[in-house]
Amino acid sequence: MDLVSERLNVEDYDEAVELFYERGWTDGLPIVLPTRRRVEAMIAASLRDPQHSLGAVPPKGGPATIEKLAINAVMGGCLPEHFPVVIAAMQAMLEPTHNLNGVLQTTHMCVSLVIVNGPIARRLGFNSRDGVFGNGYRANAAVGRAVRLALWNLGGAFPWDTDKSTLSHPGEYAFCIAEEEEDNPWRPLHVERGCPDGSDAVTVFACEAPHSVFCYGTPEEMLHVLTDSMCALGNNNVHVLGQTLVTLNPLNAEEFARRGWSKADIRHYLWEHARRRLADVRACGVVHEQFRKMERDAGRYPHRYDLDNPTTRLPVTATPDDIHIVVAGGRSYFAAVLPGWGGFGGFAVTRRIEWSS
Amino acid sequence: MELLSPVWPAATASRPAKTRPRALSGIRIALVDDNLDIPFTTHLETLLTERTGAKVRRLVKPSGTAPSPPALLDDAAASDVAVVGIGL
Repeated sequence: MDLVSERLNVEDYDEAVELFYERGWTDGLPIVLPTRRRVEAMIAASLRDPQHSLGAVPPKGGPATIEKLAINAVMGGCLPEHFPVVIAAMQAMLEPTHNLNGVLQTTHMCVSLVIVNGPIARRLGFNSRDGVFGNGYRANAAVGRAVRLALWNLGGAFPWDTDKSTLSHPGEYAFCIAEEEEDNPWRPLHVERGCPDGSDAVTVFACEAPHSVFCYGTPEEMLHVLTDSMCALGNNNVHVLGQTLVTLNPLNAEEFARRGWSKADIRHYLWEHARRRLADVRACGVVHEQFRKMERDAGRYPHRYDLDNPTTRLPVTATPDDIHIVVAGGRSYFAAVLPGWGGFGGFAVTRRIEWSS
Repeated sequence: MELLSPVWPAATASRPAKTRPRALSGIRIALVDDNLDIPFTTHLETLLTERTGAKVRRLVKPSGTAPSPPALLDDAAASDVAVVGIGL
């Protein structure tokens, strides 16, 4: 296999790990060593030309070739069968709609979450149940970290340099979940977003870390607490609209479905009710007000909301379809809300996982 | 043990810098509008025009949070001076 990457000769594991730290090629954790044998096995699983590029990774524009992605996937702990998921995630993030350049450099704390759907999730051991946003599962951890290492080494947005996130969140190490599709009464996310039933896909969405929502009871009670959680005044979305991810646990979903609620019904209800009065929003200060005016002047904030009337109730997204719903986590009292970056980007993009070139 | 590098080699070539103009009067200034604070940018455009006597061309980015398209960069590079970032 013809590979073009620079060869590095080291004596042993310890020297290799320290070399990667010295050169700034890792995220703060030790890596799996990208030997030629491991990298070639990764590339072979993709059935693609090693020099095929998926595009330039912002902000510095390093080409995301299959070879470079494979090296970073090895470093992150991936097995060859994980690699098509990493490729699909990178393809999705490089879609202009996601605005990866902005996501990687904004002062906001959003990070691109990878959501895996389809039979592959169960087959490769992705966690979609208890502890779904946490640790303990190789597929979630390795795919999540491989994506982050590829962004790190090919895009070069470092926290001391062009990554301007003032707080960020722990998902910058790895941020990958699967949707629970068996214990789920509804169509999965990727099918809702246009993929065929039974297909494999990833969806990327740049968002804050999960906000816990104590969510249990009747649909009306669950919606009551979800709407309140979605429109906290600290969210960008309250000020400049955007997208939001709502994660319902399988018990929540079962209760909604049992009472006849579809995901579309929930989405519409949340959009109608997760609102704040303009007077409350204005009380946040002049900077917030300025951002909203800026978005209005640029034509990105709908004119149907009267921004001179303090009783106007402002939504958190422009449409119900900007509220994404997935089913994941343990059957319990807890759901989660993950607000996006606002109207600036990081929007959800879904891409099918391809098993050949 | 042989390993493979996860990064691309650093670029060695860089564009030569343009000669700094001695004065702003009469020169061409490209004002890259990042499409965020439009009233502020309009005010800046007016001030630059009125106070310096420069010929100001406003080039509007499609999005303030995404990179400028290559054609816009080429357009800005054809001017004597370009304002490419406005802090908010």
